[in-house]
Amino acid sequence: MPAPSPTLPARAIGGFTAEAFAAHLESQAGAPAWWLERKRAAYATFAALPLPARTDERWRFSTVQGIDLGSCVPATGAAPLPAVLPVKAAASLVFVNNRLVSRSAPSAELESRGVVVTTISEALRRHEPLLKAHFMAQAQRLGSEKFASLHIAFLADGAFIHIPRGVELSEPILVTHAVSGADAAIFPHTLVVADENSRAAVVDSFVSIPGTGADSRQLAVGANDLYAGHGSRLAYAAVQDWSRETLSLQLNASIARRDARIQSLNIHLGGRQSRHESLSELQAPGAYSEMLALTVASGTQEFDQRTHQMHQAPNTKSDLLYKNALLDSSRTIFSGLIVVDPDAQKTDAYQSNRNLVLSENAEANSLPGLEIQANDVRCTHGATTTRIDPEQEFYLLSRGIPRAAAHKLLVTAFFEEVLARLEDAALHDAILGLIRTKLDGAALA
Amino acid sequence: MANIETIANEPAPGSAVSGIDQSAGNFRYEEKHDFDAGTGLTERTVDYISAVKKEAPWIKDFRLAALKTFLARPLPTHWATRDLENINFDKIRYYLSNGQKPKRTWDEVPDDIKRTFERLGIPEQERKFLAGVEAQFDSEAAYSNIKEAVSKQGVIFVNSTEGLREHPEIFRKWFGKVIPTGDNKFSALNSAVFSGGSFIYVPPGVKVSHPLQAYFRINAENFGQFERTLIIADEGSEVTYMEGCTAPKFSTTTLHSAVVELVALKGAKIQYITVQNWSSNVFNLVTKRGLAHEEAEIKWIDCNIGSRLTMKYPGVVLKGRKARGEVVSIALANDGQHQDTGAKMIHAADETTSNIIAKSISVGQGRSTYRGVVHIPRHLKGCRNNTECDALLINTNSRTDTYPAITVRGSANSVQHEASVSKVSDEQIFYMRQRGLTEAQAMSLSVNGFINDLTRQFPMEYSVELKRLIDLEMEGSVG
Amino acid sequence: MSSLEIKNLHVSIGAKEIIKGLTLTIGAGEVHALMGPNGTGKSTLSKAIAGHPDYTVTQGDVLLDGKSILKMEPDERARAGIFLAFQYPSEIPGVSIANFIRSAVQAKLGEGEELDASGYYKRLYEKMDLLKIDRKFTSRAVNDGFSGGEKKRCEILQMAMLAPKFALMDETDSGLDIDALRIVSEGVNQLRGPGLGILLITHYQRLLDYIVPDKVHVMWDGRIVREGDKSLALELEAKGYDWVKKEFATA
Repeated sequence: MPAPSPTLPARAIGGFTAEAFAAHLESQAGAPAWWLERKRAAYATFAALPLPARTDERWRFSTVQGIDLGSCVPATGAAPLPAVLPVKAAASLVFVNNRLVSRSAPSAELESRGVVVTTISEALRRHEPLLKAHFMAQAQRLGSEKFASLHIAFLADGAFIHIPRGVELSEPILVTHAVSGADAAIFPHTLVVADENSRAAVVDSFVSIPGTGADSRQLAVGANDLYAGHGSRLAYAAVQDWSRETLSLQLNASIARRDARIQSLNIHLGGRQSRHESLSELQAPGAYSEMLALTVASGTQEFDQRTHQMHQAPNTKSDLLYKNALLDSSRTIFSGLIVVDPDAQKTDAYQSNRNLVLSENAEANSLPGLEIQANDVRCTHGATTTRIDPEQEFYLLSRGIPRAAAHKLLVTAFFEEVLARLEDAALHDAILGLIRTKLDGAALA
Repeated sequence: MANIETIANEPAPGSAVSGIDQSAGNFRYEEKHDFDAGTGLTERTVDYISAVKKEAPWIKDFRLAALKTFLARPLPTHWATRDLENINFDKIRYYLSNGQKPKRTWDEVPDDIKRTFERLGIPEQERKFLAGVEAQFDSEAAYSNIKEAVSKQGVIFVNSTEGLREHPEIFRKWFGKVIPTGDNKFSALNSAVFSGGSFIYVPPGVKVSHPLQAYFRINAENFGQFERTLIIADEGSEVTYMEGCTAPKFSTTTLHSAVVELVALKGAKIQYITVQNWSSNVFNLVTKRGLAHEEAEIKWIDCNIGSRLTMKYPGVVLKGRKARGEVVSIALANDGQHQDTGAKMIHAADETTSNIIAKSISVGQGRSTYRGVVHIPRHLKGCRNNTECDALLINTNSRTDTYPAITVRGSANSVQHEASVSKVSDEQIFYMRQRGLTEAQAMSLSVNGFINDLTRQFPMEYSVELKRLIDLEMEGSVG
Repeated sequence: MSSLEIKNLHVSIGAKEIIKGLTLTIGAGEVHALMGPNGTGKSTLSKAIAGHPDYTVTQGDVLLDGKSILKMEPDERARAGIFLAFQYPSEIPGVSIANFIRSAVQAKLGEGEELDASGYYKRLYEKMDLLKIDRKFTSRAVNDGFSGGEKKRCEILQMAMLAPKFALMDETDSGLDIDALRIVSEGVNQLRGPGLGILLITHYQRLLDYIVPDKVHVMWDGRIVREGDKSLALELEAKGYDWVKKEFATA
């Protein structure tokens, strides 16, 4: 266990002091010993590790001075219910400030077939082996060991979803994670285990509940664990719409087993500074991971996205498409790496980052990387940074469409390539609605 | 130069170009040095080098400041390979020579050195197609000659010591300005102990019709070569420079760490061609950068076949409006080799364009890495970059990495990066074998086809040798 | 006199047996057509004779001029005089046709023998004229971005330059329209002669209107089930392959 370093500055610990951790542990009384032990070890790691440094390659181009734990403390207290996505769901959970406030259970038919949609705190009592096997099971590789440890240490509750073998859900499971209050920190977690030949869709929605006055400074350190068993199909979508003063660190990890298919789509709208890490492991032949993301960056927002496509077995496939639209003085960073292990022959991997820059002061950074150790592979990547096509723009203007509306149209068209891959039409429309709302509030011309 | 179409098809017999054939470089002569700075690097080493060269005080101060920077800097292993830790800076000999004045005719060159360069074909090349030659043996140029017609045009082609001593009014202005001492640990090392290299000045409007060539040879064991090259092409001028390098295979590792600065003033064109074929125990850590003024063009053609580890990312700072930069890179990494190469394009003016084409071939357990930087800062308009990286993997355990970093600010620029990884397909090999080619011949043909569009840009003598060299490297890669 | 003898040949891909005891002899200068429905093993036969690594000969032999070639590498077989005109020729980006054929011609020469470059180009241009191929063709990369007709003409040009003893022409008519078929067939007819034996593998009779075979063999399920002269091809055209299937499925 690393010893807490006395030399770390206050901003590296923030409100997450040893006292705060002790208080949190007390609230977890009654949890299994391994759980508490994992939290203690995680807290020690968190407290020992420094904040990311500018010289750390895994944080290249990131505004590391903005990664400040400041005065945030674990969120508590009641708040009004947040808005939830207008999607017809098979089941739903709503968490506010790390606590479950509302749920709608799956149908009796699904429950009778063993579908579980519940909280982590309940899973600790009733589904302990499954939780223990899958909770934060993958090693951190993308640079956020400190924040993963903070997440484990202070996690109070989260979503636990289990789809048993052969069960197919026709509607998504909707999980809403909301934060309320100034200097509030939350640790959203969603864990999904899709067993052999099952089929499910899970949607995470991240929102800040508007408080009195301006946006509040908030901190969100979230994580998820997605596990797709043999032959299963798991679709995951996340819509991040935190307040504009939120520092967000979200760590996603997925595992695809033999012939499994995982699709993940991350929509990034909110936050002051958002770091999103997505690690996809293709562990067995036939596994397929589709990694999609859309970002609308405006004002002085920074979105920092880091990905690993890890091909660990032969005949695996991954397809990544991350699209960013940049307005005002926003910044984006995309850093992706396709890793092909020496025995992962016949890998088919694709990675693409497309940036559409709409403002003189916006900045797009792209680091599309490959590390290939097998020769019989098809691996390609591409990155482009372009402006709105002046010909297209002129065409729309000549039809009498005002410039701002024309730009909005072209940005949504730019995103449609990704959104079209969503199977759920209601979800597609809900996401498009949120993107349009954000574009309406931005200076587009 | 020549009709390129016939080049790939016509391997001219016996066209041994300096610096490319590995077997041709693997011999050495007895060492006997009049000047030897000993092993290890301290202020006394720098004092010794500076004294031998009878340098002006400002150069000595420049060296000593650089030494401090070098010692203070850590190795860049937070992003680069840890193989760098295997360089033992205390065991390296930093300066060896038999005097500083290069000979102007072959007759004056000492017999053993003459034999070395004759074996490598230098005088033959000079007669055939070069406008000038400089041949460096360990720390100093042993031979330097420029054709009279070219020097009459006002072209200066000398070594670094002579350039700084005889023409400070021309060279001091740009020396160390394109690549500051502190750019990286190895540019600082070079700045502290540099010796040899070419200083070239081309006057306004002068178009040097034939290439100038430098040839670099490490002959002594444990010797580090630190040449320094500065090329200034004045307004509207044009020049092509080629360099080749070899060393015998020693039992211990050797270090080559050069700094090359190019300055293309308004409307000038510089083309810089390297065929690097160091033996497989040379650490080759080179910093190369050009500064392109308005409407100027700098093109690096960089071909890396030899060395144990090469780290080299030729760059262009596009300083003037409509300046153009280009890097064409070929790397071949065989067993035990790591070719860590790439390009840097820094756009600093409107309507600047840059182009990067990098192709690498990894054979056996060889590893090739592409690193690229494309930087377009804010408030620029009409800047364009296009980057293509293609990697070919020959064996199941070959490795390739690609690490580009692209930053674009503002909405009036466009950048495109594409990369692919492929192998030579079994069907393709069978097809060629059905026509009677052996597996190795088929593999060579495929590999040459893979880089054919790039080798066409080389002067004929180089592209033919490159093909021959690839044939050599592909032998034994199959089966 | 040259001969290519296929004796009781059995060929498998993986565990699956495709050719199940096939016997066929081609004498010098003879043109044999091998016909049969799709999936019957015609292409397998040509690939196996050429030595493709995916095909395993489990039984039988292939003799060129009385000597077995089964132990030879694919390139040794090619240099010994076996030419396979591929149904789907590979693309080789960056390698010009002139350079490729030249490498193959050079490979046929003995150790230390240098190809005479001017003689080579003279011969190449002669053959191209014969096949009505534009001179510019030679600087294009082998099959790279070629139309179906161009690929097949490129195969015939290689065949002309390498002067094999026996050519195995695998579905040479596939992908060709009537004009292209005529040009390719004329090329093959130009090359016919006592020095070249041909095994013409085809599904359709139409090719045989242009290249008239000396003998016709009908293949079904890995074996030759009927032999005859060119009239057999016409009979097949009239009755269709169902006739063969019916007649021999039970045999």
